[in-house]
Amino acid sequence: MAIDPARQLERNARLMELLARTALSDQKAFAELYRLTSAHLYAVALRILREAPAAEEALQESFVNIWNHARSYVAAKSQPLTWLTSIVRNRCLDQLRRREVETVTLDDDEEGVEVATENPSPLEMLLSGANARAVGACVETLEAGQKQAIALAFFQGLSHGELARHLRQPLGTVKSWIRRGLERLRACLDAAGAGR
Amino acid sequence: MNLARPERADALAAEYVLGTLRGRARKRFERAMRTDRAVADAVLAWEERLVPLAEALEPIQPPERVWRAIQGRVQAPRARLSLGSSVSLWRALAVASLAAVVVLSALLLRPSADRGEGAVVAVLTAKDAKPTLVASADRFGRYLTIKAIEKIDIPPDRSLQLWMLPSGGNPQSLGVIDSTTLARVALSAPADQALRNIPALAVSLEPRGGSPTGLPTGPVLYTGAVQRTY
Repeated sequence: MAIDPARQLERNARLMELLARTALSDQKAFAELYRLTSAHLYAVALRILREAPAAEEALQESFVNIWNHARSYVAAKSQPLTWLTSIVRNRCLDQLRRREVETVTLDDDEEGVEVATENPSPLEMLLSGANARAVGACVETLEAGQKQAIALAFFQGLSHGELARHLRQPLGTVKSWIRRGLERLRACLDAAGAGR
Repeated sequence: MNLARPERADALAAEYVLGTLRGRARKRFERAMRTDRAVADAVLAWEERLVPLAEALEPIQPPERVWRAIQGRVQAPRARLSLGSSVSLWRALAVASLAAVVVLSALLLRPSADRGEGAVVAVLTAKDAKPTLVASADRFGRYLTIKAIEKIDIPPDRSLQLWMLPSGGNPQSLGVIDSTTLARVALSAPADQALRNIPALAVSLEPRGGSPTGLPTGPVLYTGAVQRTY
């Protein structure tokens, strides 16, 4: 789903306005912000947490957080949707962290983690998302292993250990795919002026 | 966790945003983010790089009960801004025009080298989403200059009052704007300090001479995010 740049600018401006008004405790603006972004953010949470009740809880906590901290949103530093998505992602990763602590002794699953298999695959999403931001060329420069590891980590919230099991690769290999892949992505994005 | 080397901090920021920095290391890194500006900036930069990838996900409508639960938790307003008469105004404000973005970009993308030191700028928009006022100050300046882009008609028994909206606190008055075409208000410190924790400015309509309570009492007519060019 490619988003044309003019529409994206317009959407960002609107989200900025809604965030500014949410900071003024404007409930109507907050409701509108929720209406415009919740389906996108819920999809993000559902991918990482894989269970609807956990994803609903993460979405709820995130929006209460957004309501309370809208004033700390600094438009000069973050795109509004990036700021919102990061809040949800961090909340989800936090939940995963707690889950790991709780299940560490119970989880002897040799098969490794269950990864959502519905289409499109994380790799396809990585590519279409990248295209939407005109960084497709950068993602294309990554080697296959790097691409796959980064997509699974980003969209499904897999840890290094889970990636190693899922991809049936030594932990060291997976770690270096991630590290090198990120370095390469950064160099490419910065060169293209898209990174920041 | 050794964050002294910038490359190391940057590599950890990348894995933090990607999600592969886990467990206690993640918690330690979050503490470092709160105290070390360079670490926090590295995280923001990586969020801008990676997080837009999430836009490729097909949206999924969450159940209605999520919104009801959120609503139940955000009823108590934190700021005592009177929004009663301005609710419809806010509603109309909902459509931000591309024009606002263009003006903003023009202001913000101007290299800070122009002024040598950079500036603090806020474009305040009104109900029609048109930029109406521009508040700006040199980074180390002691005055905030307010220019009206659109002519503003206010009743003779009313004044416009400019407010800082701090993160997590009540609005603080910057003063009454007595001229609607060009006004200057004094700052208590150089602009970069005075506006450091101020994400946004707002203008409310008050009784002549300004709010009698020290907080906004009339409708909020214009708001805008505070931007920095340095």
